[in-house]
Amino acid sequence: MTFGNGAGIARGTLIVGAALAGMMTALPAWAQATGELVILQWLGGTEAEMWQKLEADFVAKNPGVTVRELVVTGQGDMRGPMRTALLGGEKVDVIINTWPAFRAELVDAGLLRPIDDFWTSANLDAALDPSWKSLGATDGVTYGVTYTYGDRSAIWYKKAHLEKAGVEPPKTWEEFIASLDNLKAAGFAAPIAMPAKYWAHGEWFETMLLRTGGVEAAAKLATHEIPWTDEVVKTTLKKYAELLKAGCCGTPEQMFAGDWDYAADQIFTADASNYLLMGMWVNSRARNDYKLEEGVDYSIFQFPSMGLGHDDTSSVDAKEVLVTSNGANPAAADAFLAYMTSKEAADIQASYGYASPSKNADTSLLGPVQQVATAAVAQSKVQFVLGDLLPGDLVDEYRVQLQKFLQDPSDATIDAITQAIEAKAQEVY
Amino acid sequence: MQESVANPAAGSRTGISSQPGGERRKLLAIGWRGRDWPAAWLLILPVLVLFSITVIYPLIDTIRLSFFDIKGLGKPKYVGIGNYVKLFTDPAFRNTLATTAIFTLGTTVVSVGLGWFIAMLCAFAPRQTLPFRVMIFAAFGISEAVAGYMWIGILRPDSGGLLNAVIGIFHPGFAQPWLGDPRTALGAIIVTASWGAVGLPLMLCFAAVQAIPKSLFEAAYIDGASHGQVMRNIMMPLSMPGVRVSIFINLLGALRAFDIIFIMTGGGPVRSTETVGYFMYRESMTQFKLGYGAAATVILLVAVLVISIPAIIQRTAGAR
Repeated sequence: MTFGNGAGIARGTLIVGAALAGMMTALPAWAQATGELVILQWLGGTEAEMWQKLEADFVAKNPGVTVRELVVTGQGDMRGPMRTALLGGEKVDVIINTWPAFRAELVDAGLLRPIDDFWTSANLDAALDPSWKSLGATDGVTYGVTYTYGDRSAIWYKKAHLEKAGVEPPKTWEEFIASLDNLKAAGFAAPIAMPAKYWAHGEWFETMLLRTGGVEAAAKLATHEIPWTDEVVKTTLKKYAELLKAGCCGTPEQMFAGDWDYAADQIFTADASNYLLMGMWVNSRARNDYKLEEGVDYSIFQFPSMGLGHDDTSSVDAKEVLVTSNGANPAAADAFLAYMTSKEAADIQASYGYASPSKNADTSLLGPVQQVATAAVAQSKVQFVLGDLLPGDLVDEYRVQLQKFLQDPSDATIDAITQAIEAKAQEVY
Repeated sequence: MQESVANPAAGSRTGISSQPGGERRKLLAIGWRGRDWPAAWLLILPVLVLFSITVIYPLIDTIRLSFFDIKGLGKPKYVGIGNYVKLFTDPAFRNTLATTAIFTLGTTVVSVGLGWFIAMLCAFAPRQTLPFRVMIFAAFGISEAVAGYMWIGILRPDSGGLLNAVIGIFHPGFAQPWLGDPRTALGAIIVTASWGAVGLPLMLCFAAVQAIPKSLFEAAYIDGASHGQVMRNIMMPLSMPGVRVSIFINLLGALRAFDIIFIMTGGGPVRSTETVGYFMYRESMTQFKLGYGAAATVILLVAVLVISIPAIIQRTAGAR
């Protein structure tokens, strides 16, 4: 009886089991991943918190997998701690990356596994446009799956400041320059918060370069197909000089005194400045740290048109997940890449204010500011942030020379600093 | 036994070792037997192994790395002394040498000078000044990272910074970006570093003054000497051993300075506060040019040795 029933159940189980086994053999390895997945984690704050949620959701969908984060910590450029971990012999399955130049370095070191075959078998084309695939490629081989991106040509402002000065978000360069006078007249001595302590002063140059020479010129500069002494660079710096000569940003010493977070404080808490050209992570800071209401207390406008024929361009940044060639669990790593393009992953990101490039993403979940940025990027010819494309040596020199330009934005300085950057580029490339 | 181990050098100076086996005969004469050597080596072996792993190996490996061109995670390429040649033609490195010299001398002069002066004053009233000495010395125990963040708050560029706020009492609206101005940034860091370092010279110089025999002071006062004369003719010259040790320790610490610069300015603005220690970090950890960074490390090591070897010889001269 019991045996009979049991035998009957056993027979049923066997049939179901056989059917499942048949299905399992038909599934690719990544769809039946098990074991431990190790992720090299360098993100902090709410972004790290978001990653915890993504990992938990991934584990819930792949019960055979456990996730372990190998956390590296540091300040500033996180490539250093990541290199130290990898050179130290740490083996991870997945690397979070935001620097195309670092991806190329990892490829050269033989640490990354190409994912073109996986891309086809997982049909990632259904989730990501070809442009995102090419963004994750090095020398024509795909390595990265982009999971989030941000507009780097958006200017943040506090609505009350512009209202006080009677300024509408400027659409043209002339309106933008004119708005500086209105804001100064309203009591804001330095309308643009220019954080030039480390790297953020390059943001203005990079978007202006796009608006002056287009994505082609920026791409050529990144690969040194045109020299830094090219006229397009000098014209960009001359436009940048117009801004400085209009008294946009206080003294060079004030610019050098702070990083982007200090600059954000100057706008959102100190009410001392008005404009900040910065990435979309400011959104998270404004919502979570300053407790401001997105779209109500603050907003963004896209960099004003300069009338030089390239106003349809924007600078973007992106983060991607890479899989390693020496990871112990390639099946789980592939499963994770596929997961990061899913609706669930996109929804979790949206809840933290981050936009996903996946077609599965529901953009209505994004806040009003993020929606403005997403729409602006969708309508633009985009180029990755120049600073993240340049080799480390060069980017360092480029930022220091730009600091010298901020000290004295004269034509003579423009000649001197472009020559200095070009000299370093000659050495590096 | 301790005597016998400490004495070989002395033995060689007295000519015993000039005779074949002289040193060994001397050791045997005082009870050191041949069969003790294995035990002696066995006892010293753990220290030698530990020293080799923690000091000798990293040192040799750093010197080895300095002969390679290593970029990022790429394969090392042997370049001989190429990194050293490049270092001395690199304007950024030459700039760090000057900055390091200014920073080292500045912090040493300020912290030792101030520590010594306070020690002299405290020596006149040791009990009453104890709380002040403790407070000043406590700053020495604060990590440079914490001190750095604290001083960033003090030196904030707007009127919310403590220093600007105090000056603002007399000059309303005063807002100097101390760390953002290349003319003041290095000075601000020297002040910050000296603030943390002043405690040690204070204690060393105070201890040196305390070691002066009381009879000297009594004799001076009986002879009608004033406090100023006692300070100038007794305390100042006899506190010099403490000053010398303080200078030595401060020079070494300042030469290797990194934390405070990393926290406060990141070497900027426009590399105006970049010392050799920070340059080393930037090249090795940010650029990940390990060979180039290692060459800078070796240069720094040589500088440290140039300062420390004479000081060690001088400090240990009495042991001979």
